[in-house]
Amino acid sequence: MIYLDYAATAPLLPEVLDAMHGAEKELFANASALHTPGHLAKNEIEKCRELLAKIVHAEPEEIIFTSSASEANNTVIRTFEGCQIETSPLEHHSIIETAKIYGGKKLPKLYSYMLANNETGEFLKLPSKKEGEYLHSDLTQVLGKMPIDVKGLGLDYATFSAHKIGGPVGVGALYVKNGAPFKPLIIGGNQEKKRRGSTYNTIGIVGFKAALEYIEKNRTWEKYDHEIRELRDTLAKRILSEIPGSSLNTEIDKDKSLPNILNASFAAAEGESIQLYLDAEGIIVSTGSACAAGDIKPSHVLMAKTGDAEVAHSSIRFSFGPANTMKDVEKVMDVLPGIIAKLQGMSTIKMKDIK
Amino acid sequence: MSDGKTEEQDWVYSDIVKDHFLNPRNFLMGNESNFKYDAMGLVGNPICGDQMKMYIKVQDDKIVDIRWKTYGCASAIASTSALSELAKGKTLDDALLISAKDIDNYLGNLPKHKFHCSILGHDALRDAINNYRSNKK
Repeated sequence: MIYLDYAATAPLLPEVLDAMHGAEKELFANASALHTPGHLAKNEIEKCRELLAKIVHAEPEEIIFTSSASEANNTVIRTFEGCQIETSPLEHHSIIETAKIYGGKKLPKLYSYMLANNETGEFLKLPSKKEGEYLHSDLTQVLGKMPIDVKGLGLDYATFSAHKIGGPVGVGALYVKNGAPFKPLIIGGNQEKKRRGSTYNTIGIVGFKAALEYIEKNRTWEKYDHEIRELRDTLAKRILSEIPGSSLNTEIDKDKSLPNILNASFAAAEGESIQLYLDAEGIIVSTGSACAAGDIKPSHVLMAKTGDAEVAHSSIRFSFGPANTMKDVEKVMDVLPGIIAKLQGMSTIKMKDIK
Repeated sequence: MSDGKTEEQDWVYSDIVKDHFLNPRNFLMGNESNFKYDAMGLVGNPICGDQMKMYIKVQDDKIVDIRWKTYGCASAIASTSALSELAKGKTLDDALLISAKDIDNYLGNLPKHKFHCSILGHDALRDAINNYRSNKK
């Protein structure tokens, strides 16, 4: 299998599996308890907090563990319930939908702009906030791919997720700058300094810690900047030169996008069909087509970017990770041109109609 | 996932859908002039993500040959392929009776959310038959 869907979920790192198996046996106790097993569990949680804080240049007390990036995003938006909330049109649904329901007219104003988009990998320009305004950024796709400095970016809030870096699904984290407004989303417990109730997910957090240790030890952002960027750029260039009707939805210039994501569209061929023909060849990718998600509308990100439903329906996202090699790119290009030619050949849309 | 016994059940669609998607029957590759047809029918819109065209060759009020084109997802391709098998050899009157449910049954059922958006081919076939009949008048 050639896995090119890291931006959806990265496979669990072997180090993460080992750490979680160990934790299942030894760190099962309730981390809020005062007894020794509880204390041991709490220690591991605090080590993870310190490590994430170090990697993103925050203070440990500014990190709150959540069940997911979506929960972290919801928490920030709900903190500003009834207030003016400005988001980019490219945000995750956990921002856009929540802001639609809870945004209002009051002050202070919150901005929520992701640093890099999950579907295209492209960077967004963060807004410059005025005195008394607050800025949140969803950094889910950025962690591990680039060095992060939440203070340098001028952020009041930032969202992270474990399963995009080889940690487990079910663990996220929220950075809340000291002194920034905060309202807990889950009420009813002293955990996380009363900022998020519910029993600590020790085993999940231990997995997150192992994944963070991996990215820190290996300085993964350097590998992404060189080797993985080369894979992505090679695939982009080969698609454009070898597949008629192809176009890129990701600007691959170094300062325009994350090094590991490539979004491309293939005129007259529909995304879910491309995805499943690739799947039948053992190549795993994702699509912005409506069909694949069981949705009525295609990707809001590609619609916002291109304004063209056909381009969105025909889009494929390739997202690379540390295990990929140039052989994977070659194997994709061994089969992709044939798949696209077959779909274009059977399509109702004539290729000569396409510019 | 690579366990041979369960592999087919792991796929998002049934085995019959998978087969018709990976090995579609009777599709018209490339230019429309590659098939000598008597009438054509069209349904759907690429903006919505699905469009189908059916091309029929008719003799003595019977569909003696059929081709199709589809822009759409896996179940759209599979359902058009299945329809082409169902319609081939039928009289025009019988072909008009083929319903979305017949196609769904033939395929061993599509996922529910796919039923309405991807089974459109019978409308294209009806359109083709109507065009054939009005051309003859």
